[in-house]
Amino acid sequence: MNRIEVSHLIKNYGSNEVLKDLDLTVGNNEVVVMIGPSGSGKSTFLRCLNRLEEPTSGEIIVDGYNLSDSKSDLNQIREKIGMVFQHFNLFKNLTVAENIMLAPVELGKMTAEKAQTTAKKLLETVGLADKYDANPQSLSGGQKQRVAIARALAMQPDILLFDEPTSALDPEMVGDVLAVMKRLAKDGMTMVVVTHEMGFAKEVADRVIFMADGHIVEQGTPQEIFETPQNERTKDFLNKVLNA
Amino acid sequence: MKKLIVFLSSFLLVGLFVFGHQAQQPVQAAEKTYEIGTDVTYPPFEFANEKNQYVGIDIDIMKAIAKSEGFKMNIKPLGFNAAVQAVQSEQIDGMIAGMTITPERQAKFDFADPYYKTGVVMAVQKDSKIKGLEGLRGKRVAIKTGTSAGAYATARAKEYGFTTVTFDDSDNMYNDVVNGNSAACFEDEPVMQYGIKTGLKLKIVTKPAEGGEYGFAVKKGSNPELIAKFNKGLAKLKTNGQYDKIKAKYLSTESTKKATVDHSFFGLLKENKDALLSGLGQTLLLTVIAIFFATIFGVFFGLLGVLPNRFARGISNTVIYIFRGLPLLVLALFIYTGIPSLTGQKIPAIVAGVITLMFNEGAYTAAFVKGGIGAVSSGQMEAARSLGLPYSKAMRRVVLPQGIRIMVPSFINQFIITLKDTSILSIIGILELTQTGKIIIARNLEGFKIWAMIALIYLIVITVLTWLSKYIERRMAN
Repeated sequence: MNRIEVSHLIKNYGSNEVLKDLDLTVGNNEVVVMIGPSGSGKSTFLRCLNRLEEPTSGEIIVDGYNLSDSKSDLNQIREKIGMVFQHFNLFKNLTVAENIMLAPVELGKMTAEKAQTTAKKLLETVGLADKYDANPQSLSGGQKQRVAIARALAMQPDILLFDEPTSALDPEMVGDVLAVMKRLAKDGMTMVVVTHEMGFAKEVADRVIFMADGHIVEQGTPQEIFETPQNERTKDFLNKVLNA
Repeated sequence: MKKLIVFLSSFLLVGLFVFGHQAQQPVQAAEKTYEIGTDVTYPPFEFANEKNQYVGIDIDIMKAIAKSEGFKMNIKPLGFNAAVQAVQSEQIDGMIAGMTITPERQAKFDFADPYYKTGVVMAVQKDSKIKGLEGLRGKRVAIKTGTSAGAYATARAKEYGFTTVTFDDSDNMYNDVVNGNSAACFEDEPVMQYGIKTGLKLKIVTKPAEGGEYGFAVKKGSNPELIAKFNKGLAKLKTNGQYDKIKAKYLSTESTKKATVDHSFFGLLKENKDALLSGLGQTLLLTVIAIFFATIFGVFFGLLGVLPNRFARGISNTVIYIFRGLPLLVLALFIYTGIPSLTGQKIPAIVAGVITLMFNEGAYTAAFVKGGIGAVSSGQMEAARSLGLPYSKAMRRVVLPQGIRIMVPSFINQFIITLKDTSILSIIGILELTQTGKIIIARNLEGFKIWAMIALIYLIVITVLTWLSKYIERRMAN
């Protein structure tokens, strides 16, 4: 069964075409990593998958629900698609634990007690058990991003979307966040990751997608993309990134 | 969100209803109570005494007539021009304000029999060498807006080659001459006499000209029975000698010989303590009520302005545009005198004042509420929505609490502005601190010292308010 099916997705900002007729399917438990130069439309594509971005046309089906259908309950679909942002977007008015508990409790998924145990457990898995009562502003970037992952996991999503999760981090913080993501992948989470971390793509991805100019230029296993890229633009991009 | 809007709007309606209801009470009373307008600063015809009660020839005559003819009335010191407008818009039933009967005024008013004969005189500085209109060539002359004395001077400006400058209050006009800015002023004889007896450093240099007659006025065709009662009462007062007594009380030299008054700053402060405190009380009351409604109004339209709905945002932008664009003074006069002439429904000054402030301060509040929410990074909303939270929950639990924190300094600032803006409402006759000051000055002509007191009181209150709000701000930051 496919978790995500995208067909003929087009996104325009005025006369500017950002996504030009994209098709993509993501299978259950699959980890898809999207790479490509900035401005190629990777993030826009990712944000269309939970409709933070309104597609201009095309069809997106997630877990059997059609996102473009006005009859489907967008909030209900979003509960099943977690998202992790480049700039973390932790709720500044809430503590770390409250950040994690807010959605499950507000949406009636858990009682307050259950949410507290869940928050504790999740913070342990991301290695931040001692930050339960902390204020998000007091955390480092890497810690913030791990809390953000815990927050997304609290809703027990079927799919996790990562939008450049390590791009805003100091280099020494990147490892902790990637470690958490690797563990999630190993545990069978379906993930779509936009990133510039080529090491992560090589090691964790089931499939790597290279995007440029609003098109999917090339896709394949990490070996295929990194060792025997077919397209000139892929070769050019990898050459620049890997030999920088 | 919807619930919040419903809650706020019903709140607003209830508030307006309560006020509107109070407004109608006098009308509903079984016995008719006449609302009579008068000037604030026109001694000896009307002025507030040391106890802040209204006295004067006009007031005493009106009271005596009401007593002898057996009707109830309220005297409202609105100011001359405001009283004229209030009569014309039927906010009040009549006015007695040293008003000269002229053909022009007779087109819009019905006058009762004249109750006082007067004439225009010219006054100059005590040591001035000017002896008449001839001495005014090339000079500036102070007049009061809307008065016959002013019209008299204006009509002769060209012939005698002087320019005029207009004031709203007699005391400002006098002081312009005392300070030497203007060479002379024109005023009705009894008013000028009274002022000089009270210690004004001016002298009268001309004989009363253009003898005029003062009359009690109602809107044309609106109140014949009140005119009839006034005429009947006035005739009685004249025959039984009461009329002469009233006149003597204010104009004869013996009666104005006062016990020596302490004119030092603290003496004046002590004498006017009660009036000033009650003015301050009105100012604070007006501020608190106005802030309350302005905040509800502002939060409502501010929130409307951030909804993901073009129509709602359009309404919010329009409301902010209109009420932020209108000068507070114009808005106050429009609401107080304009709306009743359109709807036929009277509004008490205090209600008009609160509505004015609600619109004006509310528009500013709406603007910064909108701005405060807009200043919360869009990622906060996106993160909340990505978890499946509906818009209203995301707004309430995540965006609003952060927005409010951003707004706190603006709220405090707006409170202080509102407090100061209440002074503008003196224009519609609300007896707040500024109006109280005008009235005290009209009686004792101690403009500098009284305004210094008023300024000091505003500063003290604002300082206290600033301390208080800094304290709250700190508490909220922790």
